[in-house]
Amino acid sequence: MKKTILYFLKRFLVMLFTLYIIATATFFLLAATPGDALTARVEKLPDIVVERLYEKYGLNKPVMERYATTMLGILKGDFGESIIYQGQTVPNIIKEKGPVSARLGIQQMLLGVSVGLLLGVLAAVKKGSIVDWLVVALSILLISVPNLVFALMLQQIFAGTLAWFPVIGWPKENIWFGGWEYTVLPTLAGCFGYIASYARLLKASMLDVMNQDYILTAESKGLSRFEVVRYHVLRNSFIPIVTNLPMTVAMCITGSFFIESVFSIPGLGLYYVNAVAAQDVTIVMGETVIISAIYIAVVFITDILYTIVDPRIRISGGKK
Amino acid sequence: MATKTRTLTPEEAARVDLGRFDAEKIDRPTITFWQGAWYRLRKNPIAIIAMVLLALLIVMMIIGPTLSGEEYIKINAKIKNTDPNSQYWFGTDSMGRDLFCRVWIGTRLSLIVALVCSFIQIVVGCAYGGIMAYCGGIVDNVMMRIVEVINSFPSLLITLLVMMVVGKNVAGLLVAMCITSWCGTARQMRGQLMQLRESEYVQAAQMIGAKPARIIIKHLLPNTISILILNLCASIPSYVFTEASLSFLGMGLSGDVISLGVLISEGRARMSFNAYQLFFPALILCLAVLAFNMLGDALRDALDPRTHQ
Repeated sequence: MKKTILYFLKRFLVMLFTLYIIATATFFLLAATPGDALTARVEKLPDIVVERLYEKYGLNKPVMERYATTMLGILKGDFGESIIYQGQTVPNIIKEKGPVSARLGIQQMLLGVSVGLLLGVLAAVKKGSIVDWLVVALSILLISVPNLVFALMLQQIFAGTLAWFPVIGWPKENIWFGGWEYTVLPTLAGCFGYIASYARLLKASMLDVMNQDYILTAESKGLSRFEVVRYHVLRNSFIPIVTNLPMTVAMCITGSFFIESVFSIPGLGLYYVNAVAAQDVTIVMGETVIISAIYIAVVFITDILYTIVDPRIRISGGKK
Repeated sequence: MATKTRTLTPEEAARVDLGRFDAEKIDRPTITFWQGAWYRLRKNPIAIIAMVLLALLIVMMIIGPTLSGEEYIKINAKIKNTDPNSQYWFGTDSMGRDLFCRVWIGTRLSLIVALVCSFIQIVVGCAYGGIMAYCGGIVDNVMMRIVEVINSFPSLLITLLVMMVVGKNVAGLLVAMCITSWCGTARQMRGQLMQLRESEYVQAAQMIGAKPARIIIKHLLPNTISILILNLCASIPSYVFTEASLSFLGMGLSGDVISLGVLISEGRARMSFNAYQLFFPALILCLAVLAFNMLGDALRDALDPRTHQ
């Protein structure tokens, strides 16, 4: 037990260190970019105004000094003000855009993972039949069509030609439950990838378990096919699913960039892309650090889950 | 208990001429690992479809742009946004350029970028993984920590940032897409090599005095190469896809460079009026990704002898 706690403590420190590296790397990448956020804005301004503008955002100081201020600011949770949109700060943006991206991601995952798992069970139970073949074909097809193309296709067919759903946009009020008609197409577009990968994952895992001796035992005890699958196969084949799920949660934060762009959804992804394009240093810095922090934290939780779900992986000097 | 004793006649006691039977002979042709894999691959209809599809795409990529007799950069305002017809097979774009040519030119760049990226990923990954497995100890430990740190970056964010620093050109795209991807390969290589180093047959080979070169060529390489092939088949489509998505977001290639992603984002602008401008590049993109995925699936089955016992 003591070993476990020590291990997690070590992992936690590594996590903090990783975050520091990410912040540093982001800072210097941004500093190395030719031009800055103000270049376009100050082009026609008199020199004295330009100087003051640079003074205001601290862009006139040497790189190392800016690095120190930025890092100290992040420690205090202060990322600074947006250079492009005056008055916008990182916490504001996260508060405003976070729920939008979160809802999209959660809906995609719920739909995608549940349908995927269902198909996976079907394919494994009916192995070798037409159902199995259909599921495999469908999953290869779904994996091969990028969700960007899916998004455009759905938008064209269901919002354009058939006009069943709005073309772009996102519910403005009641962000968690209202305006479902806006969310149907983006959710569908994003969930296909999950369906395909989870169907494949569960099928492979179930087939693996079905070859085990204890399944033979269960069958020879006279359990029905349903009971065998329900009580023996499913439980044991869920280990890769459980360990994969948190990664999916982490990925769905950044995975919706393209879909947000297609449907003009005012989420974190779209804002991030715009901020990068405009070289809005403070916002890019803040969003990178926060998104990475979420991502790393989720990976960390996965590790803990891993040891809880599968007692065989009790930490013995770190996992491989 | 009375036993009948009987002496052997000289004929019976004579030595059987073993040469007649040729007991050591192996009556089946020897099938090497690769012959076996190729045989299994050939028997798989999905693999055949994938290979035919890939061959078609590659042929079209090479000769496609010359087939229609049009030029991919020739602007002609009179024929802009023409629907597909007998002269312009895929129609023309908003500047009157032949879409058929442009699609194949775009496929060329997209696939070349994907291939080069995969190549870089595998070379760097192998070298890094090889060093980790070979050196072991503290070197391995430090290098592994570096991989872990890089692995926990959200790769899309880093790719976008790098793209911004190095600029929207092909070289920049290569750097941006490869910067985190090699870690996976390095990890896999390290795992596989370490496992092999400990395995009985490699130890046996060392014991009977095989030189390191022989061990590497005879034992280590053949056992890692199938992993690399699978890695290649998985990474090529993902690079094609990433390139297209980046270009679509306006963060990838732009200007007068043509790739499938650029064409898709151009087509998107005219989506509601001339859907074909989006349809054709997207179709080719999906076909290419599909072909690589199917081939990868079939190869996984063919290269893993355990699934065929």
